[in-house]
Amino acid sequence: MARKPTASAVAQARAAAAAKKKPGGGLGVNKVVVLTLMAALVPFSLPTVVVLGVTMLPTAAAYFTERGSNRYAWLCVGGLNFSGVIPFLFGLWFGVHTVDEALRLLSDASVLLWAYGTSAIGWAIYKGMPPMVENWLKYSSERRVSSLKAAQHKLVEEWGDDVAKKHQKHGD
Amino acid sequence: MAEAAAEGKEDRNTEASPAPAGPPGTLRDRYLVRSNQPLPELSMPNSEAFACEDKRDPGRRLYALICAPTMPPRVNVMRALKGVNIVGLQQMVEWGPMTWPPLGRQCMTVIYERPAGGRLMQNFKEPFPRIDEYVISKKLIEPMIAVMKDFGARGVTHRAIRPTNFFYMDEGAERLALGDCVSTPPAYDQALVFETIESGMCHPMARGSGTYSDDLYSLGVTVIFALLGRNPVASMDDETMLRTKIQDGSYSMLVRDERLPLPLIEVLRGLLLDDADQRWDLDALDMWVQGRRLSPLQQKQEKRAARGFPFQGREYFNCRELAAAMAKNWDLAVPPVLEGKLELWLRRAIEDKERAQAVADVVRMAVTATADKKAVTDVTLAKVLMMLDPAAPIRYKGFGSMPDGLGGALATAMAQKSDTRMVTEIIMREVPKLWFESQGERSLDYSSMESNYKEMRSYLTQSGMGFGIERCLYEMNDSLPCQSSLLGEEYVVELKDLLPALSSVGTKQGNAKRWPVDRHVAAFMGARARSDIDRNLTNIADQDPGQALMALFNLLAVFQYRLGPESLPGLAAWMGALAQPVIASYHSREKRKELEKEIPKLVRKGSIVEMYSLLDDPNSREKDSQEFAWAQAQYQAAEDEIKRVLTDEEDREKEADRIGKQTAAVTGILIGMVTVTIVVVLTVW
Repeated sequence: MARKPTASAVAQARAAAAAKKKPGGGLGVNKVVVLTLMAALVPFSLPTVVVLGVTMLPTAAAYFTERGSNRYAWLCVGGLNFSGVIPFLFGLWFGVHTVDEALRLLSDASVLLWAYGTSAIGWAIYKGMPPMVENWLKYSSERRVSSLKAAQHKLVEEWGDDVAKKHQKHGD
Repeated sequence: MAEAAAEGKEDRNTEASPAPAGPPGTLRDRYLVRSNQPLPELSMPNSEAFACEDKRDPGRRLYALICAPTMPPRVNVMRALKGVNIVGLQQMVEWGPMTWPPLGRQCMTVIYERPAGGRLMQNFKEPFPRIDEYVISKKLIEPMIAVMKDFGARGVTHRAIRPTNFFYMDEGAERLALGDCVSTPPAYDQALVFETIESGMCHPMARGSGTYSDDLYSLGVTVIFALLGRNPVASMDDETMLRTKIQDGSYSMLVRDERLPLPLIEVLRGLLLDDADQRWDLDALDMWVQGRRLSPLQQKQEKRAARGFPFQGREYFNCRELAAAMAKNWDLAVPPVLEGKLELWLRRAIEDKERAQAVADVVRMAVTATADKKAVTDVTLAKVLMMLDPAAPIRYKGFGSMPDGLGGALATAMAQKSDTRMVTEIIMREVPKLWFESQGERSLDYSSMESNYKEMRSYLTQSGMGFGIERCLYEMNDSLPCQSSLLGEEYVVELKDLLPALSSVGTKQGNAKRWPVDRHVAAFMGARARSDIDRNLTNIADQDPGQALMALFNLLAVFQYRLGPESLPGLAAWMGALAQPVIASYHSREKRKELEKEIPKLVRKGSIVEMYSLLDDPNSREKDSQEFAWAQAQYQAAEDEIKRVLTDEEDREKEADRIGKQTAAVTGILIGMVTVTIVVVLTVW
C-alpha cells in the first residue's frame, strides 16, 4: 500500500524545486573553478589570452545570449570559431609569443575575419540544423502514415469495409 | 341458410347449364376430364361433374367431380375410399389434384364410376318414385349397413347421406349407391333435416367429421323420404325445423300424421332418436335386418318448466330450446342471464337447484371480474349455454361448432377469405376447454382434443412465420392442401410434394427476390413435419437476414435430405439467387468469391443439401471469424498509429529543435577538432 507522503518530504521537494528554478542565482561552483584556473593562466600566457579574449567573443556572446532548455549554440559557434582562430594561435605559440605580437595579430583584419567568419558559419549551422531535422522527421512521419494507410487499404480490399469497425471481443 | 343455398345449388345443377369451353384436364396421365362436357345431373352442390374417359379403358363409364377451390376437400377420406368396391357405394376410381383449364389452376378432382340411372331424388321440393316398404330393406338399408361397416373399418364417416346423393347405378333402377362425400367438408352440403339437432345447431362448415351415429340418423331420415317419395317437411324453414326437432323430437317432426309401415316404425324410431347415446347403432340395425324385433323406443322428453321463460317475445319451456334461442340472439341473451332472471327461472320453474346454483356462481364471477368486461360476458354466456344444454355444440356469439369442426370452419373461412376472428377468439378464450369440462363423461378423444386446442392457443400467441392462425389451420386440418399463393396452381397436400412444387414454381418464375417460404408454407411445414421444427421456424424470423436465410436453407436441406428428391434445380436456383446475404456474412472477400463460384455448380446439381453444407461449414466460419478479428485488430493498430503520428506535430517540432541543436553542436565541435588536428599536423610536419 502506498504511503502518504509526509509533510517534511513535501517541503523538501518544494525546496529542491525552488532551488532548481532560481535563474542567475550567481555562478555555479564549476564555473568558478574554470574561471579561477583561466585567471591563473593569465600571467603565463597573456598573449594567448588576449588573442582568444578578442577572437572568441562570438562564442562568449552565444553562451550568454541563448535562452531556453537546449543551449548548445556556444558549442557549435565555439567549435567553428575556434577552428578559425587555431591557425593563428599556433603561429603565435610557435612564433613570437608576446603581447605585441598578439596585438599585431588582432590588428590584422584577416585574423578577425577568419575568427568571426567561422563563428558566423557556426551560427548558420546552428540556426539551419533544426528546420532540416524537422523536415526530415516530417518526411519520415508522412512515409510511415502512407505505409500504414496502404496496409489498411489492403485489409479493406481483403475483408471489406467492416474490417474498419472496432473489433468486439467475445463477451463484450 | 347454407342448407337452403346447398339445396338451391343442387337444384340448379340438375338443370342444363352452358358448357365452359376449353381443353380437357388430365389426371395422372390417364383420366381425361372433358371440360366441354359438363354433367349437371351428377354435380354436387359445391362441385361440378364432367365427363371423364379412362385412356386405358375407353369403354369404362366414369365421371369426374371438380372440387371448388374454396372448399377444403376430405383428403383423408379420399385416401381411405379409393378403389373401394361395395354394392351400396359409388366406386371412387381415382383422386388427385389436376390442372383444370377452365379455372386456370389445379383443382382437387375425384373420379367416380358413372351411374347408368339418375338420382333417387332430384331435389328436395319435387316428389320422386317411392321405394316400396317390402324392398326398402334390401334396396337401401342392407347396402347401407355394408357401406357403414366398411366405413367403420376404415375409420371414416360419410356425412353426406341424403336422397339426392343416391344414384341408380343400373338402367333398371335396381342398384342404389351412395354418392360423393369427399368434395366438401363433412356434412357441409347436408340440409338441416338430415342432421341431428346438435349438428344442425352448427354452422355448416363447422359440423366436423362426426360419428357413425350421425350417419345412421341421416340414413333414418333418408328412409322416411324414400318411403314417402317426397320431402315431408318441404315447407318448413330451418329455424322452425330445429325448434320442432327440439320440442317434439326428430321422428315426430318428420312423421307427424304420415302412415308408415308398422315394421319400419321401430327402426326409424331407433335411428331418429335425438339422444345419441340411445340411438340405434349398426349392430342394432343389423339385428333388425336379420329379423330380430325390438320394442319401439320412445323419445325421452326434457323436463318442461312450470312457467315459460320470456325471451324475444316468446316463452320457452325447456332449457335446450331456450339455450338455442339465446345462442341465436347472443347480445340480447346477456341481460337476463347477468340480471339473475335465468337463475330464478331454473330454481323456481325448472326446479333444478343444482343447475341454478352453478349458473349463479358463473354469473357472480362475471359480474365481479375486473378484466375485459365484454370478453368475460361472452365467455360467461357460452358457459351458461353449455350448462343449459351440455349436448349442444360449442356456441359462441351466434356461431356453433362441433369440437372437431373448428378446423373445417377455419379452413373454409380462410379459403373463402372471410373473417377468421370468430375461430381465433374461440380458441384464444379457451371456449372448447369449457365445453369439454361441461361434458359429463370424459373420453380419450376429448382429452386429446383439449390438449390440441391448448397447443393451438400457444400457436396463436406467436406471431412469427410458421405460427399464428396459419399454423392452426394446418394443425387442425391434417389433409388440407397448402394455401400459399406462392405455389400458384400447384396443389400440395403432403410435405414430400412441397419441395418439388416450390422447385417447379422456381423454374417458372426465374430468380425471384421473394423467399420460397411465406406464412402458409412455413405453417404447412411446421404442421406436417414429423419432427419438431419450431426452433428452425423461429430462426427464419431472425433480424439478421443472413441468419434467417441460413435457417431457411437448413429447413429445406433437412426436408430434401429426408423426403427427396435428390435434384431440385428450380428451388436450388431460387435459393442460390437469394444466397447473397449468407455469402456476405463471410468476411473474407476471397471466400465470398470462392462461394460465388461454387454455388452455380450446386444449383445445376439441384442440391440444397450441398448448398447448405457449403454455406454453413463450421470450420470455414470459425477460420473466417478468427482471421477477420485479427484483420480488424491490425486495422485498428494502424489507425491508432496514424492518429498518434498526426497528433504529435507539436512534440515533433520540439524534438526537431533539440536534435537539430545537438547535431549542430556536435558538428561544430567536430569541425573544431578536425581543424586543430590539421593545424597540428601541418605545423609539426
